[in-house]
Amino acid sequence: MNKGVAITGMGIISAIGNNVAENFQSLIESKKGISRISKIDTIHKNDIMVGEIDYTNSQLEQLLGLSPDNNFSRTGLLGTVAAKEAVAHAGINDINKYKTGLISATSVGGMDMTEKFYYQYLENNTNHKYIEGHHAGDSTQKIAEQLGIEKSLITTISTACSSAANAIMLGARLIKSGQLDRVIVGGSDCMSKFTINGFKTLMILSDTYNTPFDENRKGLNLGEAAAFLVLESDTVVKAENKTVIAYVKGYGNANDAFHQTASSDHGDGATLAMEKALQVAGYTANDIDYINAHGTATGNNDLSEGRAIIRVFGENVPEFSSTKAYTGHTLAAAGAIEAVYSILALQNNVIYPNLNYKTQMKEFNITPQLEFKEKTLKTVMSNSFGFGGNCSTVIFSKEQ
Amino acid sequence: MNTNYKITSYCHIKNSKVSLNGSVIFSEQLLDFPEFIKAAYKSQDTKYPKFFKMDNLSKLAFLAADILLKNENLNLEETNNIALVFSNKASSLDTDRSHQKAIQHKDNYFPSPAVFVYTLPNICLGEISIKYKLYTENSFFIFDHFNAKHLLTYTNSLLDTNKAESVLCGWVEFEGDHYEAFLYLVSNEGNIEHNKQNIITLYNT
Repeated sequence: MNKGVAITGMGIISAIGNNVAENFQSLIESKKGISRISKIDTIHKNDIMVGEIDYTNSQLEQLLGLSPDNNFSRTGLLGTVAAKEAVAHAGINDINKYKTGLISATSVGGMDMTEKFYYQYLENNTNHKYIEGHHAGDSTQKIAEQLGIEKSLITTISTACSSAANAIMLGARLIKSGQLDRVIVGGSDCMSKFTINGFKTLMILSDTYNTPFDENRKGLNLGEAAAFLVLESDTVVKAENKTVIAYVKGYGNANDAFHQTASSDHGDGATLAMEKALQVAGYTANDIDYINAHGTATGNNDLSEGRAIIRVFGENVPEFSSTKAYTGHTLAAAGAIEAVYSILALQNNVIYPNLNYKTQMKEFNITPQLEFKEKTLKTVMSNSFGFGGNCSTVIFSKEQ
Repeated sequence: MNTNYKITSYCHIKNSKVSLNGSVIFSEQLLDFPEFIKAAYKSQDTKYPKFFKMDNLSKLAFLAADILLKNENLNLEETNNIALVFSNKASSLDTDRSHQKAIQHKDNYFPSPAVFVYTLPNICLGEISIKYKLYTENSFFIFDHFNAKHLLTYTNSLLDTNKAESVLCGWVEFEGDHYEAFLYLVSNEGNIEHNKQNIITLYNT
């Protein structure tokens, strides 16, 4: 019942690195990837800061060896890079040897191309190839093709900022129920005017570096990223003599039932999600060694999440930190990015500092981990909360 | 698999009529939908000002759910474990079109967050969840036609696995001038057997 699902590979591309090793290096060196925006021409460029990936689209196309007539959105490009790294890391040579699925999360999908060519579509057909690439499922389909996955479960989850956590959860359940032998789970979101303008309208974008859990936090920085994990059944792990890097031990998803774009004052959905995840893992709160918080650095999230953490952990809140100050908020990909960071924390027994923090929040007395810390970790909890009140928690462990 | 679940109650909003368990409780001819739903809302003494901010689909779904759940005399101080499983054909197209109109022309560009937020069909589930404090499972499916079989299987599965104590399910469609809501509550209580034929019969009532 409470047996964890094996993770055998991971891949990532974000503002702090183009692969797992580079991301880890940045995390332990406190090197953040937040800057002024360079790749999108937006009227908000002087008012916002973002977590951008250095590669241009054409560099990514070259890297992946795509033909010039491809119609990949940047979401598909980033997703393919990360998914390929994950599959290679898991030492998979023949992807169709076992029943292998792909669950990819995105909120932006092909919107980057649509917003670029939207008015032009009506005038001429030069870029009509991108119309087909607009919908969220297209990036998933392209990643599956690039991985060579044939005739299997290939699906897309779009539940705003908890999407990738939900992809991991669904994948773990499919392995547990025996529907799949192996599943690649994660998410990808590129930068777009769509998200910049949307979050700007909600007035939750910071004009400087985001400061999670700080009293004077001004909002979030958007980021672009993609990350994937490979989950495999115990049978495959045994048959292939696989090295397991960690386990998906618990997961929970709950409805905050409060507001379309805000979290409830006391984090009802977040509390439920964390409690459900502990229950699935067969853990109590005391079993959690580190929390990788959602910590977007908006006034609303950090207060609501902090209160929810106190509701779940009481007087014994373990070390917690948000890594959004490094990468920005990578929306639908965030749950997968932070899954990779949680696994790296477990593997290396380290806790990443919560950067940019200066002032204690006045509503409660819990303080995030501020310095890089070495600590023996057996378990890490990772939170991801999305618009629509979609709250998810995943617990990773060293032991099954 | 337990097949002894019952249809506890049901509600229709269509053809200028609102009915609960087959009895008409409000009827008003010659009104277009916005006027009709407002009149129906007033007749039910709903008193929920957020109703007026909702789009057409949410108003339709919310009012049908509210009429049905009000009749259940729930204790709103307690957590009610009622899952939501809704479906329709047109998704949120009515509101999608309003939003599209607002961004169609570069020189006349006026998207509104208040409209945009309703460009998903499952937002109506959120509106119901917020009113009734439902921290429960919810799903919205898009089908070509009313799909009794899918609703039946999904609902039984939620009840069998103790994911919910009861399930509010049905069909809420808004497209052009056409509107139609059919919601029904499934639990252990009631006199109507929860099976495919009964769902279809009630849908066509």
